[in-house]
Amino acid sequence: MTTLNITVEQAQGRVPVTVLRIEGDIDAASHKTLQDKAAEVINAGSTHILLDLAGVKYMGSAGFRAIHAIANMLADDPSPGLEKYKNLKLLSPTDAVAKVIKTLGFDIYLDIQQDRESAVNSF
Amino acid sequence: MSAEPSLDLTVKASLDNLQEIRSYIDQAGASLGISESALGDLRLVVDEAVTNVVIHGYGDVEGNVEIRMEASGSSVIVRIRDNAETFNPDQPGAPQLNTPLKDRPFGGMGIFLIRKMTDEAEFLPLPGGGNELRLVKHGAIQNGG
Repeated sequence: MTTLNITVEQAQGRVPVTVLRIEGDIDAASHKTLQDKAAEVINAGSTHILLDLAGVKYMGSAGFRAIHAIANMLADDPSPGLEKYKNLKLLSPTDAVAKVIKTLGFDIYLDIQQDRESAVNSF
Repeated sequence: MSAEPSLDLTVKASLDNLQEIRSYIDQAGASLGISESALGDLRLVVDEAVTNVVIHGYGDVEGNVEIRMEASGSSVIVRIRDNAETFNPDQPGAPQLNTPLKDRPFGGMGIFLIRKMTDEAEFLPLPGGGNELRLVKHGAIQNGG
């Protein structure tokens, strides 16, 4: 059974940012855990979310379904142009996860940051 | 002439077993001498393939999935067998990479990744029923062949 641990942290940049620090693998068995946790913080008032992926060694396509669902929950819509999402960003994906993000073309939409403080201040 | 090494795993086709399957890929990969980069790709494609077997193949029906990993020179061959309904891989299309994310249909990402991260991906119906997905990755084995 895939277990996913998610720690919720609040950070203050130009706007309040909720950081979801994720540890574990995100696969078809565990992606709902991430989606549900994001729904919980969004329902509690979070408007800007940073997904800290440094502790995620593996993410399959199910992880992208979760990211897509979270972006929709935040009503974060970069269309009609191909701009990046403004309310949902990623922090420090591992090489394996970064490769999948690029292969699936998600890097077009997702702002991928490497430093937590800069990431929080980029919202 | 000695036979090429191979390793098998048979488990219940369940999303609850994905972690175990990825661990098996890591262990089998290490004993076959597969490079870390190729192993990362295989971990992903096998996970995606088994996820498809569980969700689209068996659905609500119980069944097993059998994974066999073998070396062939510097290539690695992975065979994933199930007993589910015959699978048509051409049904879901490739993800529409230039479509805004919110408008993207989400089917087909797994198949897209499988084809993208292997050199050969062949879906074969088995004579007695079920399917075999045969995956080949060239140059995966360090010092192989």
